[in-house]
Amino acid sequence: MTVTAAARLRDAIASLKETSDRLSRLSQRSYQNPYTAVDWPESVDPETEWFSSPELLSLYGTPVWDTLDERARCRLAFHEAANFYSLNIHGEKGLMQGLAARLYRRDLADVADYLHHFLDEENKHSIFFGGFCTRYARVYPTKQVSFEVKRPRDVEDFLFFARVMVFEEIVDRYNWWQGRDERLHPVARFINNNHHFEEARHLIFGRRLVEAMWQACAPAWDDELIEDVREHLTQFLVTSWREYYNPAVYADAGLADPYDLAEQAWAAPAQREHRRRTSTKLLGYLTSTGILVKEPVDAF
Amino acid sequence: MHSEPEIRQALREWILGKARDLDPAALTDTTPLFERRYLRSLHVPELLLLLERLRGEPIDVEDLGAGDFRDIDTLLAKFGPARAAS
Repeated sequence: MTVTAAARLRDAIASLKETSDRLSRLSQRSYQNPYTAVDWPESVDPETEWFSSPELLSLYGTPVWDTLDERARCRLAFHEAANFYSLNIHGEKGLMQGLAARLYRRDLADVADYLHHFLDEENKHSIFFGGFCTRYARVYPTKQVSFEVKRPRDVEDFLFFARVMVFEEIVDRYNWWQGRDERLHPVARFINNNHHFEEARHLIFGRRLVEAMWQACAPAWDDELIEDVREHLTQFLVTSWREYYNPAVYADAGLADPYDLAEQAWAAPAQREHRRRTSTKLLGYLTSTGILVKEPVDAF
Repeated sequence: MHSEPEIRQALREWILGKARDLDPAALTDTTPLFERRYLRSLHVPELLLLLERLRGEPIDVEDLGAGDFRDIDTLLAKFGPARAAS
């Protein structure tokens, strides 16, 4: 990174201090104990109690949806809830690793207090997600395997916080909807609502930080590097969405041909429209800031 | 379960769909896919889904590394039908 770019980045981080101090105060006020916040029932009934909103399920609006009776839809909603919580666990693992690695780094010292809250809150979210999966279902493994080439630090920083933001923006649309859905089991509503409440702060921080980093760093990057960054984020969006269509979930829900079902669901017009609609706010942000210049067509 | 030639062909088509700058004539069974950056690690989840579908059973991802995805030959040896049957 050039001296000018380093100075711009330092100024950009410094400009976030007021925001991060305010968010830190809010985090202190809503500090919670994840071991007492939820009243976990002894058991749940996956075939009569709803754990996901049907409209958000990966088969909703596809030909197979019409062939499922109420119990089968409910069962699918239960396993998709466990999958949603699992992908949150894996996303937050990567997030916690990245946050821990950046704690008290000199150029990020102005936001260190908030990084502590960010890290603490992500760990607590994973306790809730893991609490559900290990009590009633299972933690689905992720298919994300990282062996990326090492990039310059400013590029790694930008991509890390941009990936976090992309992941959290999508998840938050589900949390927002499901936290308000009165059809859902109280535990599912709590997990979604609580996550949305806390993610609201993370999203404010993420949007401001990612834009500040882009404005500070991108002018010093050549065209090839900028194209590489854009391709990386585009593929990350595709990969993030793809994890919502999990063949292991369909198998657990008792559905036949789970791999073909995942392909059909991914390609179904209603699901493509669902992904596009859910990503609208995120895409608006990424294009208005100039981070992306075209729609990631492979995701839709 | 698909045969080895079918898996090879499906892999070729998928790789060429992702690596749009890659000349089909230049893609051999030993072309280093990630080393030459035709693919990136973010493509792995989709690639694993394809391999699972082709071989008809799940793949345990916990201990996988870059060397398991080097080229088409490596993918076949690691995740192909012979391995699935063993």
